[in-house]
Amino acid sequence: MKQIALYGKGGIGKSTTSANISAALSDMGLDILQIGCDPKRDSTRMLMQGRLIPTVMDQVRERGDRSIALDDVVFTGYGGVRCVEAGGPEPGVGCAGRGIIATFQILERLGALHGDVIVYDVLGDVVCGGFAMPMREGYAQEIYLVTSGELMSLYAANNICKAIKRLSGRSRGICRLGGVIGNGKNLEDEEELISRFAGRIGSTLIQFVPRSPVVQRAELNKKTVIEYEPESRQAAVYRQLAGNIMKNTRLDIPEPLEMEDLEALAYEFITN
Amino acid sequence: MNSLRTEGCTLTGALSVTMAVTDGITIIHGPDGCVHHTTSLLHALQVDHDRLFSPVILSSSLTESEIIFGGEEALERAIRNAAARNPGLICVLSSCVSAAIGDDVQAVCASSPGPDIVVVPTGGFLGGGFSDGVEQALLALSVLSGEGPCSDGTVTLIGEKNLEYEADAHYRELSRLLSLLGVRIRLRFVRDVPAAALRQLGSGSLNILRDSSLREVGDIFRRRFGTPCITSFPVGFAGTLRFLEQAGEELGIDSRQAVKRERENQERLISHFQDLKGVEVSFQGLNSSALPVAEELVQRFDLRTGNGACRVPVPDPLPVGTAGLSRLLHRWRRICRA
Repeated sequence: MKQIALYGKGGIGKSTTSANISAALSDMGLDILQIGCDPKRDSTRMLMQGRLIPTVMDQVRERGDRSIALDDVVFTGYGGVRCVEAGGPEPGVGCAGRGIIATFQILERLGALHGDVIVYDVLGDVVCGGFAMPMREGYAQEIYLVTSGELMSLYAANNICKAIKRLSGRSRGICRLGGVIGNGKNLEDEEELISRFAGRIGSTLIQFVPRSPVVQRAELNKKTVIEYEPESRQAAVYRQLAGNIMKNTRLDIPEPLEMEDLEALAYEFITN
Repeated sequence: MNSLRTEGCTLTGALSVTMAVTDGITIIHGPDGCVHHTTSLLHALQVDHDRLFSPVILSSSLTESEIIFGGEEALERAIRNAAARNPGLICVLSSCVSAAIGDDVQAVCASSPGPDIVVVPTGGFLGGGFSDGVEQALLALSVLSGEGPCSDGTVTLIGEKNLEYEADAHYRELSRLLSLLGVRIRLRFVRDVPAAALRQLGSGSLNILRDSSLREVGDIFRRRFGTPCITSFPVGFAGTLRFLEQAGEELGIDSRQAVKRERENQERLISHFQDLKGVEVSFQGLNSSALPVAEELVQRFDLRTGNGACRVPVPDPLPVGTAGLSRLLHRWRRICRA
C-alpha cells in the first residue's frame, strides 16, 4: 500500500490536485482512499459529484466516537474512490489539530486505512502537531508539496520542508519528500522556477500542472477533470502526475532554504 | 524546571484561595483529573490540619470531544449546575487544557446569568507556580469590592496561607496585637468568609499582607483603594514590637502604650523559658529569611550553637508574633528535655 500526503499553501489547489490524482489512479484499476484533513471538508467534493459528505468529526459530535461505523464516515465516489473527510470544529473554537489526531485513531479502529493508495489532502500549512499527523506514526511515507511560482506559495512549501526534515529525523519517522508538484498560475518561467526550487531543497519537480480553464469548468460541474473532460490535455497531465507518483522511488529528506535564499531565487525570476 | 516544594501549579494556588469563600463554588474548567488531583491534595492537607474540608469544587469535565469542538458549552453547563445550588459566588479557574484550546472563559462567564462569577486564569503551563495562583485569585476576587475606599479604621488581612497549619493561630495573635492598639480586623481576604464580606475590601484603613511575596498585590490595592499596607505578619520579639509601631503609625494611633505592654509580655515569656538559657542547640531547617529571628533567640537565651544534642527546628514560615515564639519555645523545650 502506498500512502501519499499533499501539503501546500492554502488555496494553492491541493484538493483539486488530490481529487484528480485519486480519480486517475482509480481509472488504473487501483483501490483508492482519499482523506481530507481540513476542517473545511471540501477535499472530496469533486469525487462525490459536489456532495459535502458527513465528516468524522460530525459523527463524533452527534453520537460520540464509540458508536461510529465504517459506513458512517466512508463514502464511495467516482471510480470507487473511498472518500473520508476529517472535518473539525466550527471556526474560532476548539482544536482542529486534535480533531485530525482523533480522526486517525477512529479510522484505524474501524479498519478504514487500506487499499492500494491512500491520499491524504492536508490543510494549508502545518499549523500544529495535529496537522503533521499524516507525516507521523507511519501513515504517509511520501509527501508531495503543491506550489505555484508565487513567493508566498514557495515560502509555505519551504516551511513544510522544515516539518518533513524534523519528523524524518526521528527514529520512527518514515516520511520523506516525494517531490514537488507545480500548480501553475500563468507566471513567466514558472515551471523553471519551481523546478529550481525543488532542486535547491534536494528534491525534484515531479510534475508541472499548467493553469487551465478546464479545471474551473469541471469544478462548476461538480466533477474532477478526469471525469468531466477525460480526453482533455489537462486530464492527461493529471494522469501523467498520477503515473509519476506511482513510479516514483526517489524519496528525500529535504533541506529547507533560508528566507533570503528563497527570496533571492524568486527575485532572479522576476528580473530575468 | 520548577520542582520546588513550595511551588507547584497555579491552579492549586488559586484554588487554595477560592475554596476559602464559605458560600462560594469553584469550577475548574478542565478535565476531571485536574480537579481530582488538586482537590485531593488540598483535602489531604486540611484533614492533616484537623480542619473539615467542605468547599464545593466542580469540574466542567472536559474530554477529547470538548478539546476538539471547544469547551465553552461544557463550562456553561457547569455554571448552570453551580448556579442551581444558589452560591454566594462562583469562581471559575481555567486549566492548561482550556487555556491551550483558547476557550473564551471571560465571555462565557460574562454572559451567564445568576450569581457573581469571578474568573481566575490559571493555565499552569503559562509558567506560574502556586504563589502566582494565590496572587491571581486575590486580584480576581478584588473586583467584588464595593464599599471602598472609605478608611473605617479597621484592618484587612491579605492572603493568609490557607494551607498553613497555624493559620488560625496567626490570626488570633494578630487580633490580640491589634487589640493593644484598639483596632480590629474586619476582613480576612480570603479565609473563611462569605462572598458578601469580600465587598468590604478597600474599606479598611490598613492592609496587612501575609508575607512579602504579596507585595505586588499590596501595591495594587494601595493604588486602587488608597489603603497603606504592612508587607508581612510580624516575626520575632523585636519584629513584633516594630509591627505595633508601624501599624500605629499607619493608622495614626500612638503605639507607645501598646509597645510597652507587649514588651512586658515578651519579658514574661523570656523569664518563663529561663531553663533554655545557655543550652547548646543545632538549628534544623534554618533558612536565610529566619536567620535574624534565630540570632535574636540566641542572644536572648544565651544559646550556644554547634552540633549539640538539641536539634531544634526552625519552621518555614516562622510562627507569628510573641504567641508564635511561645509555641516555638515550648517545642524546643520538649526536645531539649527529651
